[in-house]
Amino acid sequence: MKTSIKIRNLSKSFDGKKILKEINLELPENGIFGILGKNGAGKTTLLATLMGLITPTSGDIKIFNKCLKKNKFDILNQINFQSPYIELPKKMSVYQNLIFYARLYNVKDRVKKIKSLCSELLVSDLLDLNYGKLSSGQKTRVNLCKALLNTPKLLLLDEPTSSLDIQTSEFVRKYLIKFQKNYQSAILITSHNLEEIQYMCDYLIILEAGKVKDFDTIRNLLKKGKKSRIKELLLDD
Amino acid sequence: MINRIIALLIRYQNIALGSTPRLISIFYWPTVQILFWGFFTNYFYQINEFNIWSSLNVILSAVVLWDVLFRSQLGLSMSFFEELWSRNLPNLFITPIKDHEIILGLLMISFFRTILGLTPAIFFANYFFNFHLFELGFYLIFFFFNLTLIGWSIGLFVSALVLRYGQSFEELAWAIIFIVLPFSCVYYPLDSLPEVMQTFASIFPTTMIFEEMRSLIFNSHLDYLNLIKIICINISLLLLSSIFFLYILSVVRKKGIMVNQGE
Repeated sequence: MKTSIKIRNLSKSFDGKKILKEINLELPENGIFGILGKNGAGKTTLLATLMGLITPTSGDIKIFNKCLKKNKFDILNQINFQSPYIELPKKMSVYQNLIFYARLYNVKDRVKKIKSLCSELLVSDLLDLNYGKLSSGQKTRVNLCKALLNTPKLLLLDEPTSSLDIQTSEFVRKYLIKFQKNYQSAILITSHNLEEIQYMCDYLIILEAGKVKDFDTIRNLLKKGKKSRIKELLLDD
Repeated sequence: MINRIIALLIRYQNIALGSTPRLISIFYWPTVQILFWGFFTNYFYQINEFNIWSSLNVILSAVVLWDVLFRSQLGLSMSFFEELWSRNLPNLFITPIKDHEIILGLLMISFFRTILGLTPAIFFANYFFNFHLFELGFYLIFFFFNLTLIGWSIGLFVSALVLRYGQSFEELAWAIIFIVLPFSCVYYPLDSLPEVMQTFASIFPTTMIFEEMRSLIFNSHLDYLNLIKIICINISLLLLSSIFFLYILSVVRKKGIMVNQGE
């Protein structure tokens, strides 16, 4: 089977404390995958490890069937990330920020790409504004533009709609679903918004104390637990 | 009211005492000032009317060249800190950019910032004080290049420490070169230091550079063996600080520090 992410015995400890414990996971080549877990379950550590921001203590990660350790820069070219906790330089305009990242990802027709993405995500009128002057909702949409600049085959999203109003959240969710269908990419989402996960994701990964407690399609997980909503599935713990 | 003031005092005391660099800075600034001005005054008494103009020319040249070191160090550190302050580092490190490319980018921006910052200063020094830095000729490039190498080395070293230990180490970026200033013999010759300190000061590459500068202006003479020694030391310093920066990046990845900086 072609996989987007293949993880074998992945562990990560910080100062002797195990945060990820022998994680094994194989995600199909495309689809939207939700990661759920309590605070401290290891969601952020897992995402950061997949991006090479954290070196694993042990285990192997393969992304698009290539070893992350050996092919890091090749893989990083094909993935991207967005988080409301990680910002862009505030003193630069939105356009300057986006063109900078477009260069780093070696995007062809940079200006055209930026303009089309900004128009799709309704941030064209923000291009000349300093990033620092944007509201948190505007920042989230601009960050998403940055995350889509290289049309990633694997997109990692940390709380993608936090700080967005209801209408914009809905717009972003629909946009991401459309993006995934158009480009057949894999999207990995962590969110505390269970309705969002249920609405967007095909698969669900439940992390508990650094271990994968469950991984399956949402439909199968609900069926297995005889529940109708993800919330019930989690509260059952 | 007293409670509120006490609360503030405790808070500021915790901030100052909770960080070693901040704590050290409270003590070393007065000491550095006293040492620097003490040595400078010693030297000033030795200047007589026959060499006062060349001495002033030496001091102005030293001011400009010391600023080369300061600007190149600060230009590098501040560019890197901008990424930390804007909580942008994880975004940068998940792109296909390689660690050595980041170092090269920092060195280049520091160079441009130094040139940009010094051009008006040199112009004004030339216009108002009839001071001709370019009379140092080809050796000006040599001094400039070597002080830039030292500035880059210190800048990389400080940036790595801030990345590893957090923003309390930022104070070092402003302060570190002033710690070495009194022993670098920038504005006074090595022999104006007390004998016990001369041996210590002579190991600083900055001391070697400024001694050669004085020798060139006063005696039109340079020790070429010393110049080779200076360039070898400075290239080694830059290599060592680059290795240190790369090593800290690997430590930061192991400890997950970069992720926490975004939160």
